[in-house]
Amino acid sequence: MKPDAKPALFGRIPILGRFGLWIWRNPLIAPALLVVIVVTQAPFILTVIYSLFRWNLQRPENTAFNGFGNYLDIFRDSRFLDSVVTSLSFTVAAVLLSLLVGLVYALLVHDRFFGRGIVRTLLITPFLIMPIIGALAWKYTVLSPIFGILNWIVRQFGGTPIDWIGMYPVASVVAVLVWRWAPFMMIIILAGLQALNDDQREAARMDGAGPWAETRFIVLPHLKKYLQLSGLLGSIFIVNEFDVIFMLTQGGPGTATTNVPFLIYQSVFYSFDIGHAAAMAVVIVLGTIVVVTYLLKLLGSLMGDLD
Amino acid sequence: MAFWNRRPAAARGIERASRLRTVLAWGVALFVSFPFLYLATSGLKTEVEAPKMPPAFVPVPEFLNGIPFTYTPTLQNYRLILAGDFMPYFVNSAMATLVSTLIVLLLAIPAAYALTLPQTTSKRNVLFFLISTRFLPVVGVIIPIFLATRFVGLLDNVLALIILYTAMNLPIAVWMMRSFFQDLPADVLDAGRMDGAGTFHELTLIALPMVKNGVLATAFLAIIFAWNEFLLALTLTTTRAATVPLYMISFMSAQGLWYAKMSAAGTLVALPVVILGWFGQKWLVRGLSMGAVK
Amino acid sequence: MGHITLSNVTKQFGAVEVIPPLDLHIEDGEFVVFVGPSGCGKTTLLRLIAGLEDVTSGSVAIDGTDITGVAAAQRGLAMVFQSYALYPHMPVRDNIGFPLRMAGLDKAEIARKVEAVAETLNLTGHLDARPGQMSGGQRQRVAIGRAIVREPKAFLFDEPLSNLDAALRVNMRLEISELHQRLKTTAIYVTHDQVEAMTMATKIVVLRSGIIEQVGSPMELYNQPRNLFVAGFIGSPKMNFVTGETAAQHGAATIGVRPEHIALSKDAGDWKGRVGIVEHLGSDTFLHVTVPGAGPLTVRVAGEMAVRFGDTVFLTPDANKIHRFDAADNAMSRRP
Repeated sequence: MKPDAKPALFGRIPILGRFGLWIWRNPLIAPALLVVIVVTQAPFILTVIYSLFRWNLQRPENTAFNGFGNYLDIFRDSRFLDSVVTSLSFTVAAVLLSLLVGLVYALLVHDRFFGRGIVRTLLITPFLIMPIIGALAWKYTVLSPIFGILNWIVRQFGGTPIDWIGMYPVASVVAVLVWRWAPFMMIIILAGLQALNDDQREAARMDGAGPWAETRFIVLPHLKKYLQLSGLLGSIFIVNEFDVIFMLTQGGPGTATTNVPFLIYQSVFYSFDIGHAAAMAVVIVLGTIVVVTYLLKLLGSLMGDLD
Repeated sequence: MAFWNRRPAAARGIERASRLRTVLAWGVALFVSFPFLYLATSGLKTEVEAPKMPPAFVPVPEFLNGIPFTYTPTLQNYRLILAGDFMPYFVNSAMATLVSTLIVLLLAIPAAYALTLPQTTSKRNVLFFLISTRFLPVVGVIIPIFLATRFVGLLDNVLALIILYTAMNLPIAVWMMRSFFQDLPADVLDAGRMDGAGTFHELTLIALPMVKNGVLATAFLAIIFAWNEFLLALTLTTTRAATVPLYMISFMSAQGLWYAKMSAAGTLVALPVVILGWFGQKWLVRGLSMGAVK
Repeated sequence: MGHITLSNVTKQFGAVEVIPPLDLHIEDGEFVVFVGPSGCGKTTLLRLIAGLEDVTSGSVAIDGTDITGVAAAQRGLAMVFQSYALYPHMPVRDNIGFPLRMAGLDKAEIARKVEAVAETLNLTGHLDARPGQMSGGQRQRVAIGRAIVREPKAFLFDEPLSNLDAALRVNMRLEISELHQRLKTTAIYVTHDQVEAMTMATKIVVLRSGIIEQVGSPMELYNQPRNLFVAGFIGSPKMNFVTGETAAQHGAATIGVRPEHIALSKDAGDWKGRVGIVEHLGSDTFLHVTVPGAGPLTVRVAGEMAVRFGDTVFLTPDANKIHRFDAADNAMSRRP
């Protein structure tokens, strides 16, 4: 390594110095990196700091350092604990069902047939549509007690109309989430299917494998890492789902569909309780980091060597 | 067909699906598309017709009125919307989306390129740091962002959205562009270096023209994410800088339920990105998997 | 001008030492071929000279000037790659002109030089084509054009013919040799094909595991291989090696006889053997003969030869052309 001219400013503090030097040597990367740090990392540090304060925007005079008090409060608050459970159930249910449905979509459109391009396009569209409009479409065209197609069908069979969202709020949200995320899973799984060498499938067939054995021993093992990837990515996004809940249920009825992000939103913008909201935000970030760690490991193995 | 004469991987699929599977696939696709197809349909109806059951799917000319499941299409909802206060929202969305995407490309392309160069150190750390910020929940930073935006007086200003959307899309853009640069034949870049191109010329004259598709794909993805973004727009804008998702919200609460008009508005708002996504289908997977799946 | 000196050059990739300390001098105007099996470090060595890789230690000098830390572009060398490495988005004209454009020449000057080069390479009619529209041979010609247009101190060729089919390869081989005759510019050429090495080189460098096994003219290598490796690598078909009793009779651990240096008779000779596979090439016949006590031997006979599988034949090696190797595989002097 050639000794570069060290900007004197950075030399003093060890970690900052090394970082500064790296930034100095990589002028092409530095701007992107700095933007991301300033806009996402700095605010997160502030969130952590806020979470240690008692702070309500409506009563700024009461602001005071509170140590871990906010954390103790939220973990004693049944609304928060409920929202954690809600978040987790949405995530687990929606991710697993999306994976399953996405796999079915992918298997349906993998082989050639008349209109495959159109079918595939129709299948991925729910993912492209603005989430709040997707939720809106469900709310009014499918689930609405009055205009919804579901109740029209119920009436045709002589049943009484049901307020689907009111009666089955969790199932409704999960249905919309699966509708929206199954295409995402399909896109990745389909790429996996297409990366599978046809020769391998044909060789298996020559070796006497039937359709089931072919799927079980050739296709699914090959798809494993694609399923993992789509499942992890899906979890990260779904655990933080906000748009669909905002549009479909506003967290209700009661708090039946209030997940953590929605509760944070309410705490900040309805009750102006910065301290507690920040503590909740820190908790959900930490939870996400666990999943992200697995994801990064997987991405790393998919990418191979870097440096 | 001889064994060496295979169709390229992208067009593959080793056999035709059975007739049953074809029907099934079409059935599932239509079932899944019902909400948005019906929404689009309702946007072409009158306010009187729209909420009526049984549902009318088939547009027919006026003189055929009365046949079950049919309706007479009209553009009156779209006329109303465009004559109303839609345009400012649309312009705000377009500004936030396009300007942020442009900045994203300007920042991401050089960074992604540098992250393929052998002499760059700590590539892995940088890439993983970048992508982990993309997975950071927005609610985790919304409070300070809201307060900071208020503090600097950028509340209800498109500039705030531009900055945030830029940061939101940068990590994915860097990963995606990097995966395209990575695929370039090393020999061609070496040839450029032998021929006297410095990093700047190597990037602008050799590498970039070879990844035009990658730039398009990255732009596509950034546009889709920015256009559809809701939470930040909801918290940081109110009237002057409000974007199209807020138009949908304001629409519903302020004016009561105008079913046909709302459907038309929803269609109008969703359409740009849906069309973009249809054309960019083959790149979606690469973007959604951070370039890990091609 | 263009003599190149490597002094004590080493290269490590991580913990793996690809090139142990190595010295090499290349004279101005020479056509030097680096040859060796894949993974022997020949391409790495070329890239070190090119400046596409940094040496781990040691120095590289061109015309006596140390250029170890100098960027590839500033070394005044031009390179032709195995994959041609043309810029796919530029027409041929811009491909060839690119190094000149980077050097800051004005447009008229570039156009003039590009035309001139295109003429010598029969590319005049293709100047506006894109590389994607051309055949492999034409592409390689463009790559060569791009190399010669800047009048470099030396040409570096990295297996430039490997992607061409057999017939084209022979043609391009001749073209490159002619080019060298005409321009008299130093050339370094990397190949794993010993035929290319023998036919084109003024000097061959045989490499194995990053170590130079022998440097010499093609005929020196053919006639006086320094060790078993070089003896086996140069020449086609491969030299026959015999160990054991027969070698001991010649006072060596191993003796080597080239297939073309064995006389064949149906009646009498030193070694009696049985014919295995016979390969008829028309101009030559290769016989694979199993000799008890010596093992399978390849014999090359000029012209057509009427022998069949299973025939008994007698072989007599040309006593003057027997190579002797000691137990460490190094060549010994010719039989006293």
